[in-house]
Order: sequence, then C-alpha cells, then structure tokens
Amino acid sequence: MTSVLAFCTATVTSIPRSALEVVAAARSLAQQLGGVSAQALLLGARVEQQAYALIQHGADEVFLVDHPSLASLEDEVALGVAEYVVRQMTPQVVLFPHDDLAGGHVAPRLAYRLKAGIVTDCTGFAVQDHEIRWLRPVYGGKAMAYFRAQGPIQVATVRSRAFEPLPADPSRRGEVRPVDINPETFLPTVRAVERVETAEVEEGPSLDRAEIIVSGGRGMGSAEGFQVLHDLARVLGAAVGGSRPAADMGWVPHSHLVGQTGKIVAPKLYIAVGISGATQHMAGAGSSKTIVAINKDPDAPIFKLAHIGVVSEWEKVIPPLIQIFREMRSQG
Amino acid sequence: MHIVVCIKQIIDPEVPFHLFRIDPVTKTQIRGSHPLVISLYDEVAVEVAIQAKEKFGGRVTVITIGTKEAVQALHQALAMGADAAVLLSDPAFEGVDSFGKARILAAALRKIGSFDLVLCGRQAGDVEMGLVGPFLAEELGIPCATLVSNVVSGNGKIRLKRPTETGYEVLEAPLPCLATITNDETNVPRYASVKGIRAAMRVPIPTWSAADLGLDLARSQEERRIEIDEMWIPQREIRCELISGESAEERARNLALRLRELGLI
Ligand SMILES: Cc1cc2nc3c(=O)[nH]c(=O)nc-3n(C[C@H](O)[C@H](O)[C@H](O)COP(=O)(O)OP(=O)(O)OC[C@H]3O[C@@H](n4cnc5c(N)ncnc54)[C@H](O)[C@@H]3O)c2cc1C
Ligand SMILES: Nc1ncnc2c1ncn2[C@@H]1O[C@H](COP(=O)(O)O)[C@@H](O)[C@H]1O
Repeated sequence: MTSVLAFCTATVTSIPRSALEVVAAARSLAQQLGGVSAQALLLGARVEQQAYALIQHGADEVFLVDHPSLASLEDEVALGVAEYVVRQMTPQVVLFPHDDLAGGHVAPRLAYRLKAGIVTDCTGFAVQDHEIRWLRPVYGGKAMAYFRAQGPIQVATVRSRAFEPLPADPSRRGEVRPVDINPETFLPTVRAVERVETAEVEEGPSLDRAEIIVSGGRGMGSAEGFQVLHDLARVLGAAVGGSRPAADMGWVPHSHLVGQTGKIVAPKLYIAVGISGATQHMAGAGSSKTIVAINKDPDAPIFKLAHIGVVSEWEKVIPPLIQIFREMRSQG
Repeated sequence: MHIVVCIKQIIDPEVPFHLFRIDPVTKTQIRGSHPLVISLYDEVAVEVAIQAKEKFGGRVTVITIGTKEAVQALHQALAMGADAAVLLSDPAFEGVDSFGKARILAAALRKIGSFDLVLCGRQAGDVEMGLVGPFLAEELGIPCATLVSNVVSGNGKIRLKRPTETGYEVLEAPLPCLATITNDETNVPRYASVKGIRAAMRVPIPTWSAADLGLDLARSQEERRIEIDEMWIPQREIRCELISGESAEERARNLALRLRELGLI
C-alpha cells in the first residue's frame, strides 16, 4: 500500500505545532488520494509517548527513531535518518514542515538524492485523478500558483499555519514501529561547535502565543522609536514583532521578524505601526483576526490589507493611545 | 580563500501589488517598466563574501545564469567589491528547473576550478523555492551549511554564524563547502562607491554557454521535475475602516474605543 509520510520532530516534553500540522496535511492528502495511509517519521530523544500522540492527531503509523543523540538535532543527521527511512518505506509523498531544519536543509537535499520533484512552502494542494497539484504563493505572495512535481517520489514542505492540527482523538489506533538504526552512524560534516544565547529574557508572551502583537517597521525610525512600541505592548500584554527593515536595523531581534521569511503569526489583534504592508510581510501577519494599521501615508498599501486604519504619524497617536489604554485598564 | 557567489537577477520584488502583473501563459511576472535587481538574499551573500575577504583575505567571484541584461547584476556585485564575474547564458538554459540550474552552476564551478566556499541565497526573491543552493552542494558533492549569516573564521576549516531562535550558533565545516545565506543585522548590503562603480565597468565579464561548459541540457529539459501548472493573482482587498478624528489624540481615543467595542482589548 502506498503512503504519505510526514517528517516530525519532538522533544521529551512537547510536540511542536508544526509536527501536528504536517500530520494533519498528510492525513488530508492521504484521504484525498484514496486508500493511502498517513505515516509519520518521528525523530527525537525519549519521544515514544509523542509517537502515540501523533497517532491520536491523525497518523496511521509512526516510524520512531528515538535516540539520546537526537536531543539536539544536526541537519545532516536528520537528513541521513530521513533518507534511510524513505528509501526503506518508499512512500509516494514525503511532507515536511517548512522550517529551518526541514525546509531549509533536509527536504531539498533529500529530494535531490531521490531525484524527486519537490515543491517548498506549500499552503495547500488539490487532488484530481490521483494527481497532486501543490498550491503555493509566489512573488512574495503577490500571486498564487499550482505546481506539479514529477519523479518516483514527491516531496513538499508546508508553510506554518496553512494546516490546522487535528484534535487529539484518544480512540484512534495505530502502530508505532521503532526503526532499527543508530543515528550516530551519520557523521555530520558540518557541525555546531558553539551555541550562544543573546536574547534577553523576554517579558510578556511569545510571538507564537500572543493574542495581541504590536509590530513596527521602518517608519519607527530608530531603536528609541521602537521603545514606544514596547510601552504599548506592555499595557496591552502584547508581544512585539517587526518588519524586515526593523530586524535588519537591529531594532527588534531577527527571531521577531514577522513575514514570509520570519514568523507566521495569527493573533487576535495585530497592530502594524510604520509598516507599508509589503506582501512578504503580510504573508506572516495576514492570518491575524483583526489587523490595525497606523501609518502616516494614506496611500500606503497596508490600508488595503488592514481591517482598521489610522492615518497619522505614530509619534502623535501612540503616546496618547498608551495613555488611554492605561486609563481603560485602571477603570477595569 | 576563493569565494564564489551565485546570484540571480530578478524584477524588483518591492513592486507594489497594484502594479504587479503576470502572464498566465508563460506563468511568470511581466517585466513592464520595473527595474531589475540582484535577488535580495544574493545581494546579502555578496556582502557576506566581501566581508569575509576583508577579514580573511582572498577573492570573490560572482556568477549568474541569465540573459545579457544580467551583466548589470554582475556589475553591481563587482562595484560592491567582488573581483571577478562570469555570465552563464545560453538559450538552452531557459526554462530549466532547479535541478537543471544546479547542473549549470556546478559545471561553471568545475570550469572555474578552484574554490573554497560557494554562497547561495536562502531563496530567490521571485519564486522563492530555496532549492538551488542545497541542490548545488549535492551536485558538487561538498558539505552544505544552511541559513547562515556570516563567516566568523576562515582558516583551514571554516566557521559560520547561524542565527537561531534565541541567539546564534557557530557551525564548523571543512572546505570546500557551500552555504546558503540569510540576513541579519551584520550583513546588510553596502552601497557601491563611485570609485567601485567605475572600477567595475573595466572588469571583463566572460560569457559561458552550454557548449563552453560541456553541458547537454536536453535531458534536463525533458526531465523537468518541477513545473508550474497555473498562476493567478488572488483578490485580497479588505475594506479598511478608517478611524476618524480631527486630531491625532482624537483618532487615538476613537481607535481605543473601537477596539474595546470589538472585544479585542
Ligand atoms: C524574498 C523576500 C522575502 C522577504 N521577507 C520579508 C519578511 O519575512 N518580513 C518582512 O517584513 N519583509 C520581508 N521582505 C521585505 C518586504 O518586501 C518589504 O521590503 C518590507 O516588509 C518593508 O518593511 P516596512 O514596511 O517596515 O518598510 P517600508 O516599506 O519602508 O515602509 C515604511 C512605512 O512607514 C511609514 N511611516 C514612515 N514614517 C512614519 C511615521 N512617522 N508614522 C507612521 N508611519 C510612518 C511609511 O509611510 C511607510 O509606509 C522580504 C522581501 C523579499 C524580496
Ligand atoms: N539564475 C541563477 N543564477 C545564479 N544563481 C541562482 C540562479 N537562480 C538561483 N540561484 C541561486 O540559488 C539560490 C536559491 O534560488 P531558488 O532555489 O530559486 O530559490 C539563489 O538565492 C541564488 O543564490
């Protein structure tokens, strides 16, 4: 029987949302292809429990590579394991999350080795007569396209938040099959020799979890300007994000970059300040429930993409806004 | 250290949405009167290469697969500080997929002969597949470091900085190797100086064809594994509710009230 295989990683304490999303994508694709099983390959250290969780979240079968050395995963080790398992199991499709490890490294190299057609950063697919067409934004999200991948196996990476994780169903049954392989046999040629933590301990919620995000762009003008956004975030209990120029200028850490090549976020409220609304930025912010734009230029593209707009210089609206929110808070 | 940077020339990706057009038959963007630029991560890669040259010595060569117009992109990279450039151009190169592009670039690197480090952008700024870099490393059979932002040391083995969620890590790789480049605050591309621009114009830029590279691309054309089937521009306009108010303070107040009314704060 043919299958769709989802590449997943997890830690002893948690399964990343991206793994559940890619399993949901595999389940949906397997259903649409008909008579195809949804498998997962799970890599990690002490993650057997997580393998069962993947079954509850939609996998029919999980290949488990559980090894202490996988507590921190080198790209080439993940690649070696993925290649080994894919060659053994010969799935019809291999799905990866489009993250740094898989989208940036493992999926392209695996596809090359298998001579597999590959489509990266997909947001969906359409199946007709067992043929898959992969849906994906192109030109920074200004256009959409359907791609076809040819080859003995197809590989795709899926964009974060394009698929909703399936709720856990404790009644689902499936096999967890340990794979007989020692990941230490894959000796990476490129390896991390030093890890440096520079991020300050953050106050407030993380970008991924925050219900409200305050995000600033080039229009903030300086790092000092950005401080005002932190003040605004503080009264709202919000996380702070930024556009690419803001990140390149060092006003906000790169890990807080919102957009196609940064974080894809989906808060209840996204307040974009001094951001023009480039499609590459909106690719990361566009799933927010309500987008508020504050920009001095009434013709800024963001006023065609936001739900609520304020035409003003931020210097004139943000300080009173902070004051008003403070008053609202104290009045309860 | 000899660093070779693979750059792609693209239509300016900052073209606003309302001026963006595609040709649904060729399934590509229509050029119109938009400027051509070096794809943004490739420009960053040129900056990384030049910084490495400044720190550790050596030279930088830039190569591109493109039409005659792509010479412009090579000139810009030379003006930024690259030392040599090669244009890879042949009608047979048009329409090859990422597998084909990796074959062409690999053939060019073999013709160049000696190189220590190959840099590619993490993804091109138009169709953004992010495949050619890792494919090229595989094609050349050399180690591949992905999503790095700078070269931190270059003696014998190379050390590369890779941004992470909470800081960065330092990767060590043997040479020759390939790295795909992402941006951070240390590699914002420099502007070319007037002197650099003048000097760049005097650098001869050879053009290599498929025959020069000893490449038969008939197979690559037949065996295309990645194809665009259909392309369209989605409609996405939202009716934006503009907050009214005479003064900025009044607009701030009205915004706060509206957000409270919507239960968002
Ligand atoms: C391949 C690729 C990937 C990319 N990925 C991303 C990504 O992931 N995330 C991302 O953000 N970008 C990304 N970009 C860059 C993107 O195309 C835009 O260049 C970027 O988003 C613009 O950022 P900005 O809106 O802050 O700056 P600008 O476009 O310069 O906009 C600044 C805005 O601030 C306004 N302004 C100025 N002063 C004030 C003031 N005092 N008060 C109020 N408003 C003011 C201006 O009117 C203007 O609209 C990518 C580009 C490419 C090609
Ligand atoms: N036409 C080209 N000429 C030279 N290098 C290219 C070309 N196309 C892609 N590349 C390189 O491969 C990287 C990834 O491109 P892509 O796989 O198309 O997203 C780019 O950032 C370039 O470094």
